Amino acid sequence: MIEVRELTKRYGDRVAVDNISFSVKRGEILGFLGQNGAGKTTTMKILTGFMAASAGTVSVAGFDVFESPVEVKKRTGYLPETPPLYNELLVSEYLSFVADLRGIPKAQKKTKIDRAVEKCQLGDVRNRLIAHLSKGYRQRVGIAQAIIHDPEIVILDEPTIGLDPKQVSEARSLIKSMKSERTLIYSTHILSEVAATCDRIIVIDKGKIVAQEAIGEIQASGLIKVEIVVRVANDQIVARLKEVRGVRSVNLITNGSNRLVVEAEAGDELMAEISKTVVNQNAGLVRMSPVKLSLEEYYLDLIGGRRATV
Amino acid sequence: MNGITAIMKKEARSYFYSPVAYIVIGVFLFIMGIIFYTFVGIYQQYAYASRMGGSQGISLERLISQLFQNMAFILTFMTPVFTMKLFAEEKRQNTFELLFTAPLRPGELVLGKFFSAFGIILLMLVLSFVYIAFLILWGNPDLRVVGSTYLGLALSLGCYLSLGALISAIANTQAVAFVINFIALLFLWLIQSVGQRVSVKWGAIEWGPVLSYLSPLGHFNTFAEGVIHLKDVVYFLTFITFMLFLTHKVVESNRWR
Repeated sequence: MIEVRELTKRYGDRVAVDNISFSVKRGEILGFLGQNGAGKTTTMKILTGFMAASAGTVSVAGFDVFESPVEVKKRTGYLPETPPLYNELLVSEYLSFVADLRGIPKAQKKTKIDRAVEKCQLGDVRNRLIAHLSKGYRQRVGIAQAIIHDPEIVILDEPTIGLDPKQVSEARSLIKSMKSERTLIYSTHILSEVAATCDRIIVIDKGKIVAQEAIGEIQASGLIKVEIVVRVANDQIVARLKEVRGVRSVNLITNGSNRLVVEAEAGDELMAEISKTVVNQNAGLVRMSPVKLSLEEYYLDLIGGRRATV
Repeated sequence: MNGITAIMKKEARSYFYSPVAYIVIGVFLFIMGIIFYTFVGIYQQYAYASRMGGSQGISLERLISQLFQNMAFILTFMTPVFTMKLFAEEKRQNTFELLFTAPLRPGELVLGKFFSAFGIILLMLVLSFVYIAFLILWGNPDLRVVGSTYLGLALSLGCYLSLGALISAIANTQAVAFVINFIALLFLWLIQSVGQRVSVKWGAIEWGPVLSYLSPLGHFNTFAEGVIHLKDVVYFLTFITFMLFLTHKVVESNRWR
């Protein structure tokens, strides 16, 4: 559906996007992850045909963005970082303007606006002035604007930023509801966000892609941390645990209770081995629970340029 | 084409949802009212005096011409109010991203914006006809002069609007656009009057007439005398086209930044 090849964008001397390539399949939800200023917004602006690239090609739905921008624009919906709203208009007037802009025929206009209003739950504010809307509603009007013409591809730039937790979860379910009908790309720097909604993530840092993986893989393939609470702890246990094959590191924390944090490769046999070692030392095993290496840590590792192999 | 009408519809809403359009139109009609009242008063005095054989009267043509000159002056300096926000406001509200991720060509945007501002000015010209209508009802002015003056007004104000559109596309805020636009209009006014007075010869060219030719102001004067020269019409249309072309280029260049 979307093919990006060797895309580069320079602002003067500064390289904002540095030779990136990726593709997105039809019906996929792709999370675009990165710090502020990593190049997410720039990439998205180029994908939508808003901005010209310095080098590289982008094809969306089979059309080249630079050669036939109008065809691409017809098929995409885009929510920029700040929702592009006209404060002086009512919500209904704004959506009607966007529908005209999108060239929706008069006969379908009403049904399409109604659908977008319903999807984004804007019924209550339909006849309110945009200037008077709360941030959450503004964001939703922005999303309604992006989906009003039933685009095949929807690109959302930080759709949940600045929303309260309830609004975030509403936005998430809205995003999820678009799945299967549309191809979706959205950027964020909130990780739980990605884990909750995306099929695949691309992590971008300083204009370069540093990781490109399916969500399931990240969570399964990472190292596993096990937290073991014991009654008696001493250096001997630590030494014994370190001898077990597959264990990468052992940390003893003794404030209040005695906790051993073991970082090891994933696997049931290894878990059994670890627990046996602890029991054999007569440490008085109280509790043992696995802690998955979170997406958060995975992400920080990538950005920081270090892997979790301490 | 659809893009142009969509933009025009939205702009019309923006104009009339804010009080600015009402205030400006109201102030315009009020000032015109005062000028009209004063001029008619003066006209009557002269007419009375000439009947008594005292002094020479002034003609109705002279009165209308003065009225239109004043109107042209006021309207000229009101155009920045209607053009200042055209593009500057889109920049501030980040709505260029909406416009240019929709299948809208930059040319459609520029024309839609220009026509909406032009529409407001035409509306003001139509409203100003109230005063002229009085003169037609109670006097017998030359209707050809009235017609050609209105045409000249529409064309020359179109020039100022296209200039304002360009300035709004370059400026980042409406306030800056307004100030620059005002200065630009003063400048056009200045080169017109300077051009009439100086006679500098540099090479084979007489620069005075060149200066006044460049300013749209002088081209309006012949319309006010009831004469429509094709060269003036061509001048106005060229001016508008050139300004809108530049605006188009500026708007499009935003994509590369």
